Amino acid sequence: MSEPTVVAAHASAAQPESGDSLSDRRALRAARIRAVAFILIGVIALLWASSSFGVTAKFSFWLQERGGASADLVTTVGVLWVAAGVASIVVGVLQLVRGASFRWRRWLLVVIAPWVAATLGALINGKTATMTNVLASSLEAATPITMAALAGILSERSGMFNIALEGKMLVGAFVAAVASSLVFLSTSNALLATLVGVALAMLTCGLLGLLLAWLGIRHKVDQIIAGTVINIGAVGITDVIYLRVLQHSTQYNAPPSVQAMRLPLLADIPVLGPIFFEARPFVYVAYILVIVLTYLIYRTRWGLRLRASGEKPAAAGTVGINVLAIRYRSLFYAGLIAGLAGSYLSLATSGSFQMQMTAGKGFIGLAAVIFGAWHPIGAFFAALVFGFADAVQSLLSILGVAVPPQLLASVPYVVTIIVVAGVVGRVRGPAEAGRPYEQG
Amino acid sequence: MTRARSLGRRIVVPALSVITALLVGAIVIVLTDFEHLSQLTTDPGAAIGGALGGVARAYGAMLTGAFGDPGRVLTALQSGNSKDIAAAIRPITETLVATMPLIFCGLAVAVSFRAGMFNIGADGQLRLGALAATMTAIFLSGQVPAPVILVLAILMAVIAGGLWGFVPGLLKARTGAHEVITTIMLNYISSLVLFFALRSPVLRAAGSTSPVSKNLVPIVDVPNIIDLPTIRLDWGFIVALLMAVAVSWLLFRTTKGFELRASGFSATAARYAGMSAGGSMMLAMTISGGLAGMSGGFMVIGTVGQLSLDISGQIGFNAIALALLAGLRPSGVVMAALLFGALTNGGKLMGVQSGIPFDLLIFVMALVIMFVAAPGLIRSIWRIKVTPPSPEVPSMTTAAPAEQA
Repeated sequence: MSEPTVVAAHASAAQPESGDSLSDRRALRAARIRAVAFILIGVIALLWASSSFGVTAKFSFWLQERGGASADLVTTVGVLWVAAGVASIVVGVLQLVRGASFRWRRWLLVVIAPWVAATLGALINGKTATMTNVLASSLEAATPITMAALAGILSERSGMFNIALEGKMLVGAFVAAVASSLVFLSTSNALLATLVGVALAMLTCGLLGLLLAWLGIRHKVDQIIAGTVINIGAVGITDVIYLRVLQHSTQYNAPPSVQAMRLPLLADIPVLGPIFFEARPFVYVAYILVIVLTYLIYRTRWGLRLRASGEKPAAAGTVGINVLAIRYRSLFYAGLIAGLAGSYLSLATSGSFQMQMTAGKGFIGLAAVIFGAWHPIGAFFAALVFGFADAVQSLLSILGVAVPPQLLASVPYVVTIIVVAGVVGRVRGPAEAGRPYEQG
Repeated sequence: MTRARSLGRRIVVPALSVITALLVGAIVIVLTDFEHLSQLTTDPGAAIGGALGGVARAYGAMLTGAFGDPGRVLTALQSGNSKDIAAAIRPITETLVATMPLIFCGLAVAVSFRAGMFNIGADGQLRLGALAATMTAIFLSGQVPAPVILVLAILMAVIAGGLWGFVPGLLKARTGAHEVITTIMLNYISSLVLFFALRSPVLRAAGSTSPVSKNLVPIVDVPNIIDLPTIRLDWGFIVALLMAVAVSWLLFRTTKGFELRASGFSATAARYAGMSAGGSMMLAMTISGGLAGMSGGFMVIGTVGQLSLDISGQIGFNAIALALLAGLRPSGVVMAALLFGALTNGGKLMGVQSGIPFDLLIFVMALVIMFVAAPGLIRSIWRIKVTPPSPEVPSMTTAAPAEQA
């Protein structure tokens, strides 16, 4: 923040009466309430700290490979609470001093990070948290969410809402499991089976994307309703086939499961290697997709046209861009990515298709789109937050921590609501997303 | 004359939508009939016949399950034996029992859609309502007379459901958070809340290892309409019908209802006319949640008599389909709920007798929504000329969130 703005903020904070407009005074009042809230939670953290200096918090990282030598960060839970308390109070005081112009959302991370660490330390209560595992499984859990978010970004950038990601992922998971099982039964070639399963899942979901586009563009069905049709239909059809066929003939639902693959050289990077480069191939595909899509959307002519169709389709149409063709194509590509996300669920995580196994991951992906400000890299980090919530949940259940599992399981959903409500940060999406476009 | 014609026009597309959806459902039954399909190369005639027979058996069972056997009803009525009568009319009353929550939730969805809010959280609101009613009944058990418990339980159900609906309404109005995402997330959360609550020994049935509540019937039970053994149809159904009248009155005869519909058509226009679009969103979502919650209340202390994890079944999904099918009209919701109630109740017998999973109906419902929302599809499939009716369904995506003050 530059110096003059600070001074200006100071002035308005010192003399609230001089703020002539009502909205200025409202903003100032909101800022003060926020400041008091920050300081209050800081004090609460400090109060908790006093009782927990005796409890050690041990976070360990593996250096070279999983299960090998480890580096430990050892401290006490009390210290973590003090850190959380001090951080909260500092941000609160900054807010109080700088008034309404204080950009508090940027500082939230400073408050949230020690709070999360302290809460985690308090929950595991003296046991050791193997952070390499936690972070690596965050990455795994974030992978389908990242992919769903990338699909959502592609659709929304082109001007189409894609609420149907959830259903597409479910169908993708189903097709991948069945196709992979069938190929494996006839060839017993695991690699071929996986590739065919993934390819067919992607293709099916691509076609579902075209169906969504066709309903929305050709028949002008409200895009939310069209998406809901696909979501509900996906549940119905996969349930029926599962119950009628797969439940009895389990050999059609036993795909070879995709194992983690150590990337040479990269996996040897100390600390980071075992976290980022000892994962299932899907994770690497997600890295590549994030980078490639970032390049395509922001650095190519295709990306410019895509963004134009979502921001100002009328202008794009005027300069001769075929907006509807772009929307059809992006929904097809989005479907392909959603299919990939779905196949991860059945081929990697559980090793078979289960009814309604997506459990809201498509919707969480859409929340990651918003959280990540419609940018692939932002969405990746947003997905990591959700993945982290997931990983912490499994860490706590492994360590046998006495927290009601339902409470933990609801964390990703609550975070999603907070994210879409924009409490974490208000960002603007493509202006025309969701509105039909009449091409002349 | 014109009225009759417009009614006819209004019915053609929904009717054909349901028929088409059931036909596609039949195709799914045939295609998943591996037993007969495997004979296709050796004995095609028998394979096709067997597969089509499977469809006939499935849909036949659905029909019997929904309406019973008229001949049997007549003989039972003549014999005058109450047990026989009960057994004969049970399929029909069970259809009405299945219809009751569908009316409530269909109305809930219709109210929110009218205000431009795509509430797909009826499931969650129903669960919370059911939980509130269960807790009220158990906590007040033996302390106050049963009729008081009944009223309080329904009241708490309405409040709980209303709150669960108010939250996404508030978030949409204040921050623009899309209600589809928030209501879905609240659905997942409500399941976990229910699971968590049913762990408690206070609520859980004694000696049960599965998460179900105590039987509420000895504490409080909504009185039945017909007093016959095994008949579950109770006054909740009548209340549901009354709610349809009330919602119709609210939407079309009151200023608030007008504002609500105006906000649904165009939040911007409503704002320029001096209405509070955000207020309408919150109001509509609260009413919507309250109706769904009431449904949950009437289920646990009435027809079902117990709270379990799958109390809502697929009611939320069905409610969306039937509200759209009904053109968001309360009278249409009642008619469509009767149809869906028959499908739901008949679907159970279909599952038992023909082994076709009940979930087939979920797929059929999705197709119904699709055909109703895209009447062009129906027109091109059946090659009929129907002039498109005026847009009944306000757009969900173009309703801009209220700007922050």
